[in-house]
Amino acid sequence: MATLDLNAISKSFGAAKVLHDISLAINDKEFVVFVGPSGCGKSTLLRIIAGLEEATSGQIIIGGEDVSTAHPVDRGISMVFQSYALYPHLSVYENIAFPLRVQKLEKADLDARVQQAAGILQLTDKLDLKPGQLSGGQRQRVAIGRSIVRNPKVFLFDEPLSNLDAALRGDMRVELSQLHRSLDATMVYVTHDQVEAMTMADRIVVLNGGRVEQFGTPMELYHHPKTKFVASFIGQPNMNLIPATVQGTDATGIKVELAGGHQMVLPVEAATVNTGDKVEVGIRPEHVQLGADGLDISVNVLERLGGVSITYGTIGGDTRFCASLPGDAAIKEGEPMTLAVAPEDCHVFDASGDVLRRKAAPALVA
Amino acid sequence: MTHVAIHGDVTPKAKTLPEAVFAWLLIGPAMLFIAIIVAWPLAETIRLSFMEAGLGGEEYVGLANYQELAESRKFHETIVRTFYWMFLSVALKLILGLIGATLLNAAVPGRGLFRVLVMPPWIIPMAIGMIGWLWLYNGYFGVLSGAMMTLGITGGPFEFLAYKQSAFYSAVVADVWVGTPMVTLFFLAAMQGVSRDLYEAAWVDGAGRWYRFRRITIPQIMPVIVSMSLLSAIFTFNSFEIIWILTEGGPRGATTTLIVDTYKTAISNFKFGEGSARAVIIVILLGVFSLIYLNVLKYVNRKYGTK
Repeated sequence: MATLDLNAISKSFGAAKVLHDISLAINDKEFVVFVGPSGCGKSTLLRIIAGLEEATSGQIIIGGEDVSTAHPVDRGISMVFQSYALYPHLSVYENIAFPLRVQKLEKADLDARVQQAAGILQLTDKLDLKPGQLSGGQRQRVAIGRSIVRNPKVFLFDEPLSNLDAALRGDMRVELSQLHRSLDATMVYVTHDQVEAMTMADRIVVLNGGRVEQFGTPMELYHHPKTKFVASFIGQPNMNLIPATVQGTDATGIKVELAGGHQMVLPVEAATVNTGDKVEVGIRPEHVQLGADGLDISVNVLERLGGVSITYGTIGGDTRFCASLPGDAAIKEGEPMTLAVAPEDCHVFDASGDVLRRKAAPALVA
Repeated sequence: MTHVAIHGDVTPKAKTLPEAVFAWLLIGPAMLFIAIIVAWPLAETIRLSFMEAGLGGEEYVGLANYQELAESRKFHETIVRTFYWMFLSVALKLILGLIGATLLNAAVPGRGLFRVLVMPPWIIPMAIGMIGWLWLYNGYFGVLSGAMMTLGITGGPFEFLAYKQSAFYSAVVADVWVGTPMVTLFFLAAMQGVSRDLYEAAWVDGAGRWYRFRRITIPQIMPVIVSMSLLSAIFTFNSFEIIWILTEGGPRGATTTLIVDTYKTAISNFKFGEGSARAVIIVILLGVFSLIYLNVLKYVNRKYGTK
């Protein structure tokens, strides 16, 4: 197992630059998730690490060794593809054994390693079947098995769960987390699903437009998003962003007037804004309660999920606002409601989308 | 509470035909067609094969035609020659097709152009293509003969189609020329159907070019290889125009395959009965051959298939 360092990786396809100077230091045995919307460059970055694409510039260092120009097989990585890339004409056994056959491993050794991988992944009774006879989750496990037998330094996963249905995806998330613990391996995992990122990652890399927006633990990203993009990408339902005007600043924070007229004093670093500046106030749907004084929302759609009621409405005329309220909250579609929000739960973003650092954020849990 | 009838008839019965009548109406035209252009000629051929039939009339002779063929050494040689012709030609088509498809599938610049350039032998009308080959093979003004003389391989003009051996292999070459494009394009289509991920996965695992070809490409396109070789075998077995235009089965029968022999007997010599007997034997031989082949295909699908 090993560390993985990326030094100023850039990638252009012709005139289009898809990755801009990406530098990351991934620790040994860490589970790192690259997350971002389609086209953010996360898969390209993974393929560059794998050696399937060549970086236009920059270095890839695995376990202290520069592998930027090495053949994939010499990098000590193994990759699980989105499509699983199982060989349909080969049995599960031969699929798992494929990398070892390439290496011309001795029969007894090969068999032992295939059996061991099959044992870990509960595929022992499926070894004679063809991939076409397996369920989606089992195929996924075969693809992982093919990775395990190589004893790679770094496991690479390219959206491995995106072909599975929602229920199975949940199960596989748990299985992958357990696998990470039992293999004690460095893993890099690409997904567009922030839930997968939040639940599995030790640390998350949020990519946007070929740049790293933020690299941190899930809770760090949740409580201290550096940019508006990260804030709205992490968390479900998405964070509400309400236009606001700065009324005044002092050492304790800034006073803002939100769209809709409500005024608040928010405890954030005020150094970079001045009175009269336009900002956006970010409020997570789960950080509001029904109250007598606060944000005036007109409710358009109400989804009662039992435990919670997800409420969609507008504030100040046309700014959309989503609130996650108790399951039996006394509200109705088409009627107004007032929501209270604690000032220390609010995030403030300046006009360029950068956050004003919160002074009173909760301590991070490990 | 009102009672709602749930068994109400929605469609008026008077306007629908009984299902069986409708089904017969649908398949009727096709069946009639097949009866006229396939079944009747086949039945007529079988009937004629038991006749001594010529321009003068027909006379029932029982199995005499077949007996004659069974005892004819020349006919035995024709059968052997036909199978040799078929195996040689099909083998060459498959090998060249596989090589061609692999090259056309490679990510080389301008491969679209090359893909188009493969097509002409298949597109050009057979007769025109074969007249081209006649010119190439001509001893006095053919390019091949000229080149051989210039290079000092032969001392004088060499007429390719004038000698038994050279005529046979020249015909094989022309047949391969005609048949290879189709095989190539089918193989290419099959290769393009193989997921890129499989190659990438194998590459990441360290599999070299040849290893990927052998363990991924070939097994993945094996069902197409097998069905293509069956099709190609039948086409080649029955290939008539190529031989007829080039050599008319000569010299001295060197390029006479079963189909040419059948034509010569029935049409050139007006021996319809004996010709029909030959045609029936062709059907039987190809039938047996296809049966064997389909079993091979079944085996291949089991071995290389996804289930």
